Amino acid sequence: MKLLQTVLRGLAAINDVLLSVGRVVGVFAISIMVIVILIQVYCRYILGSALPWPDEAARFCMLWMTGLMAPTALRNGGFVAIDTIDVLLPNLVSRLLQIVLLLVSLTVLIIAVQIGYKEVTGLGGRFATASLYVPQSLVSGSLTIDQWYRVPRSWMMTSLLVGIAMLILVNIELILGRVVHLFDPPEETDPADVIVTQGAESRGAE
Amino acid sequence: MLIWFLPVFLVFLMIGLPVFFALLAAPGALLFLNGQERDITLLYRNLYNGMDSFPLMAIPFFMLAGELMNRGGITARLVEFSQALMGHLRGGLAHVNVLSSMLFAGLSGSAVADTSALGSMLVPAMEKQGYTRRFAAAITAASSVIGPIIPPSGIMIIYAYVMGESVAALFLAGIVPGVLIGSGLMLMVKFMADRYDFPVATERYTWRQRGGAGLKAFFPLLTPVIILGGILGGVFTPTEAAAVAVAYALFIGLFVIRTLSFRDLPDVLTRAGLTSSVVLLLVGAAMSFKTVVSLSHAPEQLAAFILTLTENPLLLLFLINLLLFLVGMFLDAGPAIIILGPILGPVFIQLGVEPVHFAIIMCVNLTVGLATPPMGLVLFVAAAVSRERVTTIARAILPFLAIEILVILLITFIPALSLTVPRLAGFL
Repeated sequence: MKLLQTVLRGLAAINDVLLSVGRVVGVFAISIMVIVILIQVYCRYILGSALPWPDEAARFCMLWMTGLMAPTALRNGGFVAIDTIDVLLPNLVSRLLQIVLLLVSLTVLIIAVQIGYKEVTGLGGRFATASLYVPQSLVSGSLTIDQWYRVPRSWMMTSLLVGIAMLILVNIELILGRVVHLFDPPEETDPADVIVTQGAESRGAE
Repeated sequence: MLIWFLPVFLVFLMIGLPVFFALLAAPGALLFLNGQERDITLLYRNLYNGMDSFPLMAIPFFMLAGELMNRGGITARLVEFSQALMGHLRGGLAHVNVLSSMLFAGLSGSAVADTSALGSMLVPAMEKQGYTRRFAAAITAASSVIGPIIPPSGIMIIYAYVMGESVAALFLAGIVPGVLIGSGLMLMVKFMADRYDFPVATERYTWRQRGGAGLKAFFPLLTPVIILGGILGGVFTPTEAAAVAVAYALFIGLFVIRTLSFRDLPDVLTRAGLTSSVVLLLVGAAMSFKTVVSLSHAPEQLAAFILTLTENPLLLLFLINLLLFLVGMFLDAGPAIIILGPILGPVFIQLGVEPVHFAIIMCVNLTVGLATPPMGLVLFVAAAVSRERVTTIARAILPFLAIEILVILLITFIPALSLTVPRLAGFL
């Protein structure tokens, strides 16, 4: 049990760092999304000439924002689920069910990460994006900025792959946490409070 | 064989698997059992392609705009304006609560944001004036469902994207149903106020005072004008309108009203990003799910089954409302729309129901489901804000739910209520 707790603490510490980096990059990504779309609005309606890149750049940022921030939402219980059955089942059965559900989620994620890797490194990833370019120096390490490198689609597609990999780490942490609690139950809390705090604020579409 | 993904999916949902994983696990498992392993890659591709969408970007932008408005103290100005208009009536603060929700709906489009923003301000104020806490929490929760019905609306953007409808048409179609719910709730408040002798909130404001309150709320109230005016005037796409709404909210929060500071921004951006990331993943998973729905011919089989029950379209619409209401009792509106839209939409469109009309029935019904026990999200948020028990609020909300059910039936059987505005604007 002590070994399990040590592993859990280690993984939690790693996830703390990864997720906070993810959130910071995600915040930048959402800011850039707003800025480039406003640039597009300005160019299209004020200057009368639309730019080719803002739409794709904003989608690029949105995909990375999603990939990097969704794992934090999973950790905070923000993934919507029907949790009525939890209240109806005896405590131990409910906890075992939680572990089974997390294992099902982990299976989905592991299959997804394998497919995702093939997709990113496969033919689809090698195609170039329609309008995104970066200075060649960023890719080759040279100091010139007179040449431009067309961003491959794999740079966009990696967002989901990274997101799924981070979701796997969070999922494993959640499973370990549940297993530890199975033998060493935490103090009971009011179920209504748990439901309220579990991701209520991550369901803003409603 | 493939059609069995639906029951498997329902079992996954009922035992508590998060909707995102259930949307992928059930079709994936059935494709595997059916010997179609290659199509599992298709699920992944559609998950990615489903999220890689420009129209979908309106969701994070509208969420961010709502967060900025909320943090910037705009809610207080809307409440003050509502109070100037209706505070002198018997049951004044209850009316103010409903009117504020209708105004807030024009800015944010989220029932949860509405409940937490207005509830934290109005529930204590109502309690101080002698209303019971359960009544105050119930009217806050009941009126907050107007949020996603009056445009802008997060769930309508999702529906439009998943089902290939026009966002602008859905936004316009939501105006009359939203106003109907608001007016209905106000009538119920008036009836209860006369019967139970509710207090009046304030002295009658003079027109000068009303003008002053209106001036203070002027900039926030201009937001829906910019959003809808921009979209309808063909100036912006909905996504661009949402980005402009963000810039506008930021500008008035930082420089006009000056209730927002740069220090607030990282937290606001984080909250909007977290919420959006979950929604975007769900929409992506819905697009995967939709692929298997088509491959399995589920809508055709479901349509055939439904037609064996009855061929009377009015009865069918009633039955579908019953089903949606039951689903709404257990599932949040967004995921329910994502799951049921691709399955039920084609069935009813095939039966001759106007797509935008069906979209509004679905959106309004499932949004009302947010305020129904046992799993009403806004009930939980209202409970957290008011520190009242969920079950107590669930009982107190019943008269208001009755009104909302009546409105659902009205918009179901009188399509003109939702279709006239988009038709007049040339979107149908």
